[in-house]
Amino acid sequence: MVKEIQNKANEILQNTFASERKFSLDKVGEPILWANGPKDALHLIKKFQDHIDLKIDFLSDLTAYDNTDKKDGEGRFVVVIQLLSMQTFIRIRLKVLLKANEEMETLTNIWPAANWLEREVFDMYGIIFAGHPNLKRILMDERFHGHPLRKEYPYKQREPFSDNTKINLSNSTRGSSSHE
Amino acid sequence: MNNLNDNFPSDYVDLTDKIDQTKQGNDFYNPNVLINLGPSHPAMHGTLRVMCRVNGETIEDAKCEIGYLHRAIEKLGEVKTYHQWIVYTDRLNYCSALNNNVAYVMAVENVMNITVTERCMWIRVICMELARIIDHIICVAINALDMGAMTVFWLFYHWREEAYTMIESMCGMRLTTSYARIGGMMYDFPDDLIPRLKKFVENFPKAIDEIEGLLTSNRIWIDRTKGVGKLSAAEAIKYGLTGPCLRASGVNVDLRRDRPYYTYSELDFDVVVASGGDVYDRYLVRMEEIRQSVRILKQCILRLPNGPLWVDDKRVRIPDKIDVYTKMEVLIHHFKIFMEGINVPPGEAYTCVEGPNGELGFYIVSRGGPKAWRMRVKSPSFMLFQHFEKSILKEKIPDAVSILGSVNVIAGELDR
Repeated sequence: MVKEIQNKANEILQNTFASERKFSLDKVGEPILWANGPKDALHLIKKFQDHIDLKIDFLSDLTAYDNTDKKDGEGRFVVVIQLLSMQTFIRIRLKVLLKANEEMETLTNIWPAANWLEREVFDMYGIIFAGHPNLKRILMDERFHGHPLRKEYPYKQREPFSDNTKINLSNSTRGSSSHE
Repeated sequence: MNNLNDNFPSDYVDLTDKIDQTKQGNDFYNPNVLINLGPSHPAMHGTLRVMCRVNGETIEDAKCEIGYLHRAIEKLGEVKTYHQWIVYTDRLNYCSALNNNVAYVMAVENVMNITVTERCMWIRVICMELARIIDHIICVAINALDMGAMTVFWLFYHWREEAYTMIESMCGMRLTTSYARIGGMMYDFPDDLIPRLKKFVENFPKAIDEIEGLLTSNRIWIDRTKGVGKLSAAEAIKYGLTGPCLRASGVNVDLRRDRPYYTYSELDFDVVVASGGDVYDRYLVRMEEIRQSVRILKQCILRLPNGPLWVDDKRVRIPDKIDVYTKMEVLIHHFKIFMEGINVPPGEAYTCVEGPNGELGFYIVSRGGPKAWRMRVKSPSFMLFQHFEKSILKEKIPDAVSILGSVNVIAGELDR
């Protein structure tokens, strides 16, 4: 039954949104829609939320991957947004191709869940999310240099911190402590 | 003094004189005490760190810091072959390693368009439900232990050990199982497993009754958990929570029923939903989910079919050892699978299962070859812990500990 609903949603996507965008199905028949840039991605998400048959209301995952081999077109990174509907249980994968220094729009205004996910993408790939309330590293240390999931980052690279390296806590402390 | 003030914003008020007066002796009435919980604190499960600003005992501001258990598992997914990476899935949510193994191999099989055999599907469902029982046992038992109820812990852990002994007989490991293989399982069930599992599903519900008798209507337990960490359905969806925490808030969602995989569509079970969204409701949901898992296991025992365990696909089939030692072609094939890896065609898929803590997903982008181009682990704990720093505001510190126990954040899965 879910398969039928998903297939219907795929048709809707293809007929309504795919005319000037790339559209394909993945190996399990879930739709992949390529947005024309970050602004278009936000626009599409709004459309999906209001659409009577899609009813997208849940951000399942937000991630990215490196496109150094240019197999997905001229662009450095691909941001992947996994959307789910908690009412119809259809999935939509929205992809945005970014140039090397292009900024992505934040989704935190739509889903607060995007906050940490975007921080992780920033941490791992160095993609800037415009409008993000607190864009800093999350898994790696504040003192770390480089973005480890980029393909040019060697996986055996070590980056030891000396104990004397100052941690910049100016953004993470709050209240009275910053005036001491 | 003027020079010093230049460094501060214009609206900064110099309180030096006032502070000096209150600092006669110790300032016991400071409403802005900073407290650091973790990363190595007995009440923080694993290496979690929460920094709180407390006024008296009330947390007024909190921030979580993660990454203390970051082991670059996603980067390793791009460096190791698909087969080699199975062992890393054990180290995600180490309380339910079987569940991660199965979810991962399912993701690879989806990219390769492989459908596993009937018997393999049923074995995997048994594995996943056993893992769910263990994970919920740990969550409830530790949550109660954090609040001082030691007996629950002992009663429950007896059954957890029993389950681990069964898992040990399946694959030789208790915690880091690595039981699943792409296209099949490491071994078939041993002969005595089904009788043992039968005994387990017969006797274990008695222990659940006993524990519910200890906790569900216990005045102290109710006082400590009811109304603590309340979470509305709309907020839970906005923050991307999944699993028992989402269902405790009243959202009727379970991927086993709503996007069924393997044989879940043929199985008879109820999706457990509560309405309050507090620690007490999460406890109730977990207890009932354990019962439902036992119910699923009972059906699986009756319906487990005979037949081949491995899919008949040359690309992934790991040859039997006896043939490896006696036939040259098979030896070469064996060597190729382990030294070169399995060749996965280009393509991508996002596969997720209803893990014990929520939606556990693997997003694999393959550009061909034996290694993934991108291996993404969507872990439920990441979302749960993100919301945790919001949920403890205006709560007391001991309540923060009970909320943390109830969301069951596993550091291995959180930091990856």
